[in-house]
Formats: sequence, structure tokens, C-alpha cells
Amino acid sequence: MDNLDILKKEWQSREQELPKISYNDIYKMLLKKSSSIVKWIFVISVAELLFWISIQLLIPEKNMEVMNEMGLADILFYSNFVHFSVFILFIFYFYKNFKSIQVTDNTKMLMNNILKTRKTVKYFVYYNVGIFILSSIVVDFFLYYNSEHLFEIMDFASQGISQENFASVFIISQIVVGVIVLGLLILFYWLVYGFLLRKLNRNYLELKKMDH
Amino acid sequence: MNKQLEESFVKQLEENQNIVHKICRLYTHDQDSHNDLFQEVTIQLWRAFPKFRGDSKFSTWMYRVALNTAITLYRKSKRRVSTQDFESISFKIKAEEYDETVELQLKQMYSAVKKLNDIDKALVFLYLEDKSYKEISETLGITEVNARVKMNRTKEKLRKILNP
Repeated sequence: MDNLDILKKEWQSREQELPKISYNDIYKMLLKKSSSIVKWIFVISVAELLFWISIQLLIPEKNMEVMNEMGLADILFYSNFVHFSVFILFIFYFYKNFKSIQVTDNTKMLMNNILKTRKTVKYFVYYNVGIFILSSIVVDFFLYYNSEHLFEIMDFASQGISQENFASVFIISQIVVGVIVLGLLILFYWLVYGFLLRKLNRNYLELKKMDH
Repeated sequence: MNKQLEESFVKQLEENQNIVHKICRLYTHDQDSHNDLFQEVTIQLWRAFPKFRGDSKFSTWMYRVALNTAITLYRKSKRRVSTQDFESISFKIKAEEYDETVELQLKQMYSAVKKLNDIDKALVFLYLEDKSYKEISETLGITEVNARVKMNRTKEKLRKILNP
């Protein structure tokens, strides 16, 4: 008999030493809030959704006026339409995946469902970052090639900025701001999800390894 | 109706709480974390309870939810100030059978089990609870053959921890 079997033999006799929680104390626990990883992923994901939606809504009115005068109004309208349709689709998948997380599934399936949910949120972020980069490039190029018109609309001359410098300063500042925002986003995701999912990923890999 | 459901749940959990305590002891290192995990398991069990159809025993259903919570959902609380010696659980053996060597062996074995990774711990726990390989494989979501192979490897790991 090996040591584990000796422990197994004594395992049940150890039960008297275990703590006993009263009926009333268990009852009180039902009212407590969960702090599970699923709850945190859910809370952070909802915050992400709200963040990206509010970014869309927070674009200053003046920016929109400039875009209209530059002749981008129609393109912006149709691209926003497509963009928000994709948003709704993501929210649908996001909700569907969360509903599929069942704590009564077997461990591997549960982990798989959590990671699938996380993947949907990840694709949502990729999509937003991608659209952010793509639209920045397209708009920046457009504005760069029409910088004379933009210079007039924004009335930079009255602020003492010369037209020769304007185009290059404009494009460089756009790129710098874009890169900083992107860097901050990546850092945020790396910190938050790296921290939240470290244990889950490790255990999932362990279980997957067993079946190979 | 809801009140009835609550009472039935709390009563069954109170009767079977040992299962949860044993899992909490294996997966935590201090009393605070033990209590936190117990609470989280209770919340998860209560949430899932309306879907518990009674086609398996309450205790069997509990194993799965409690282990899933410990391995997958639980996030360790930050307040790990007191690292009281939780390893030094005494294995009370009846006075007439008392044997210091056996008790030492048991303590060493228990602390070796606690050093395993989360999945290996789950396997060993279900083994100690005398669950069949079929039940172990169904709980973890792996095949029965792989559960056996893995159990043998885990025993090997334990031997190495005990005799480095």
C-alpha cells in the first residue's frame, strides 16, 4: 500500500475536525456577492462596450462640422451604420456566450466556455482597434491631400500657423496621438486580462495536455 | 416557493458541507481564503441550484460545482496576511492505533498533495473521496483512460515530492 492509499484510508476519519458552518450562516452567504473570474470578465467587458460606445458619442460637434465641410458626411454616415451593426452583432454574441457559461459543466467545458467568451471580447477589441487604425489612416490621408481646404476651414491662418508647416505638423501629431492611444490600450488589456486569466489558462492547458 | 427552495438548499448544503470544506482546505493556505472560497462555492451552488434536477445525488452535483469554483472561477483574495500553519492538520488516529510514524507519513503526504497543481489536486481529491475513474473523468471532462494514466503520473509526482 503506498502513502496515498494510507491517506485515503484515513481521509474520511478526518471529517470530525472540519469546521461546521451553521444553517443561519450559510443562509446569510446566499445574499453575498460573487467575486468569481466570470463576474470580473463580465464587468470589464461591459465597461469596454460602454467605453467604445461613448468614444463614438463623445466626438466633438466641431469635428463633425469639419468633416461635413470636407465632404465626408455621407461616407461617415454609411460607415457608422455598418460600424454600429457590427457592434450589435458583437453584443448579441457576447450575451449568448455568457449565457453558455454553466458552473455545472465539466471542468474542461467550463474553462472552454469562459475562454470562448473572452475570445469574443478580444475580437471586439481587435475590431475596434483595427477600425480606429484604419479610419485614422484613411481620414489622415484624405485630410493630408486636401490640407489646403482643411487649413481654410479650420482658420489656422488667424492662429499664426503657416500653411507650409501645417500639413506635416498635422500628420505627425495625428500619428503620435494614435500610437500613444494604441499603446495605452494594449497595456490595459495585457494588465487586466493577463492578470485575470493567468490561472485559468494554465489549468486549461494542463487539462488539454492530459487528453493528448 | 422561493423560500422553500432556499430552505431546501441550505439544509442540503449544511448536511454536505464537509465536501466543500475539504476542497477549501486543499486549495487555500489560510483561514481567510478558506472562508472566501467556501462563500464563493456557496454562491455558485445557489445560482446553479434551480437547474439541479435531482437526477444525481446532491453531493455528487456539489463535487462538480465546488471543484469548478476552486479550479476555474475562484480568484484568491489579496488579504493573505496570516499564513497560519494550515498544513499541520492532525490526523487523529484512534488512541490504541496511535503510531507517530504513520501520522508523520500522513502529514507529509497531505502537504505533498497541497504542492500539486490545481488539476492534479482535483484528481487526487476525487481519488481520496473514493470516486470511480468514470466519475473523475466526467467531472473533469477527460476520458476515463486518460484519467487513469494521469492518476498514475500524479502518484509518481507525489513520490518525487516526498523523495526528492
